[in-house]
Amino acid sequence: MSIIAQLIADLEDEKVVVEVEKQLEAGTDPQEIFAACQDGMNLVGKKFQDGEYFVSDLMMSGAIFKEVSEIIKPYIMSSGDSTIGKIVLGTVEGDIHDIGKDLVFAMLSAGNFEVIDVGVDAKPELFVNALKENPDATVLALSCLLTTCYDAVKETVDAVIDAGLRDKVKIMIGGGPVDQSVVDYTKADKFGKDAQDAVTVAKELMGL
Amino acid sequence: MMTNTVYDEKVKKYKSIVKFENTSVGTAYGGPATPAHHKGILMKDYITDTKRGFQAYIEYINEINEIAPIDFLNTPYPGMMNVILTTMWLSKVKIPGRELPDDALWQIDEKAVIDRDDYDFVIQNGYEAFRAKVLPKVIDMAEVEKFFKYIGEEGPSQSKAFIDNGFPLVSEIATAPPFEILSGARSMPKFFMDCYKVMDKIKEAQDVIQPTVVANAIGMLKNANAIGAWVGGWRGASGLVSPKIWDTLVWPYMKGMADAMLENGFIPVFHLDQNWDRDIERFLEMPAKSCVLNTDGMTDLKRARKLLGDHVAFMGDVPAPLLSTASADKVSDYVKQLIDNVGIKGTIITSGCDAPANAKFENMVAMIKTAADYK
Repeated sequence: MSIIAQLIADLEDEKVVVEVEKQLEAGTDPQEIFAACQDGMNLVGKKFQDGEYFVSDLMMSGAIFKEVSEIIKPYIMSSGDSTIGKIVLGTVEGDIHDIGKDLVFAMLSAGNFEVIDVGVDAKPELFVNALKENPDATVLALSCLLTTCYDAVKETVDAVIDAGLRDKVKIMIGGGPVDQSVVDYTKADKFGKDAQDAVTVAKELMGL
Repeated sequence: MMTNTVYDEKVKKYKSIVKFENTSVGTAYGGPATPAHHKGILMKDYITDTKRGFQAYIEYINEINEIAPIDFLNTPYPGMMNVILTTMWLSKVKIPGRELPDDALWQIDEKAVIDRDDYDFVIQNGYEAFRAKVLPKVIDMAEVEKFFKYIGEEGPSQSKAFIDNGFPLVSEIATAPPFEILSGARSMPKFFMDCYKVMDKIKEAQDVIQPTVVANAIGMLKNANAIGAWVGGWRGASGLVSPKIWDTLVWPYMKGMADAMLENGFIPVFHLDQNWDRDIERFLEMPAKSCVLNTDGMTDLKRARKLLGDHVAFMGDVPAPLLSTASADKVSDYVKQLIDNVGIKGTIITSGCDAPANAKFENMVAMIKTAADYK
């Protein structure tokens, strides 16, 4: 395993920045460095799934990944898009919670997805418009932290159906009070039990 | 305040449950927001028109009680709820009719209102100075004054109504340990980062905050002649923070608050949102048969009972999605399974966390009635 991947897996934020900058200066392929960062995030995800890491560790790793990505990205901008899929993400209408959504954004980005974030308290048409503007987005991810917003999830799913997009877009949902009963109620496709699970579910829905 | 036989018997039952001497499961109502929709009141009126809102609250509980017997109340009426939450977490709270639609639920608008230097401010100036500095950033202080006026004027009559209707309020107030307060003011993502970067500094600040928070809580409980109170466990859940953070910044302060309550004759109710499986055995550190764990459906209570035995009573934990979307039969099945898993002694059945605003009335009834009738 590379040093960078191990440092990220160990949540050594300052050391990883030093190492990334050192390798960039030494001429290491930026794509290779970025891939090492993703390997590190995969390790963090595994530790989370194994019960060794917790949400605070995911948040810390997400912050580290964001920081090193910003250092690396200028070097790889011209190398072309290497993401594995595009996802539209947001918190549904009536719900202003953003912490869970932002963590899902970080984990999906680290999982090499391109994520279009439409924000919080997002009306159904905002999600539909984002899907229309990004016809290559094949997954819609809806965050919902309030039981009173289950209907907003349902209305968003209905709006996707009305827009004629349901056949090409899978819908995943997540948030504290979301479980299979909410999937059944809203006619979404699947729920993610946490931010790391969102990566697994997104891959599954995309057939990756 | 003058009590009555029904009320006194229920208080006795509550204490017997905590001591594992009960012969039947207890039932509790906990749903600050739930009555509004059922009683046909807009949420904005329900929390601001406090006389009408309280009337709806007590009527709703009585409506359930007529069909399914409620022993205790785990939440008070949420009059001016935003002030309570803001002063507890030092976060802005958006409310219906002002920042949110008239019938929406109140929501915390969590944004960082302090920075990393403010831990030093706490250490150097104390908690009250820190609170005085932060609160005006998240609430109009005139609203805080209005809240205290409301509590002074209507609090005693609300307490009397609970007693007259035979419902002991077992959790008079919710107390937030320092970890929760700082998390609210700093915002969770930034605070969690700080926990990795400046843990010692946060601990120093929490050590300054804790005595004031404890003293304030005990003072309020004494004034209210309370039975007990929540020791809040929200952002400090085992499922959310690493063991080092939990061991250093969460548990010692929760335990400290609970110990202080016990020393003063109050029963601590550890209100535990999210998953506490990893650290559940730490509750063995509390004196036996003195406390209640109030979980929300995410902690494995079957496992907890095996590990904790008859050391700590349980109050929970019918999940919010079940109460709002499932059938009454499914709620009933959940309650039966829960009682099978944890037993009758030391058990109170109620909603996980708070019952949601859109909980179905028939599901609330099914929860209480099944608990009362089963076994």
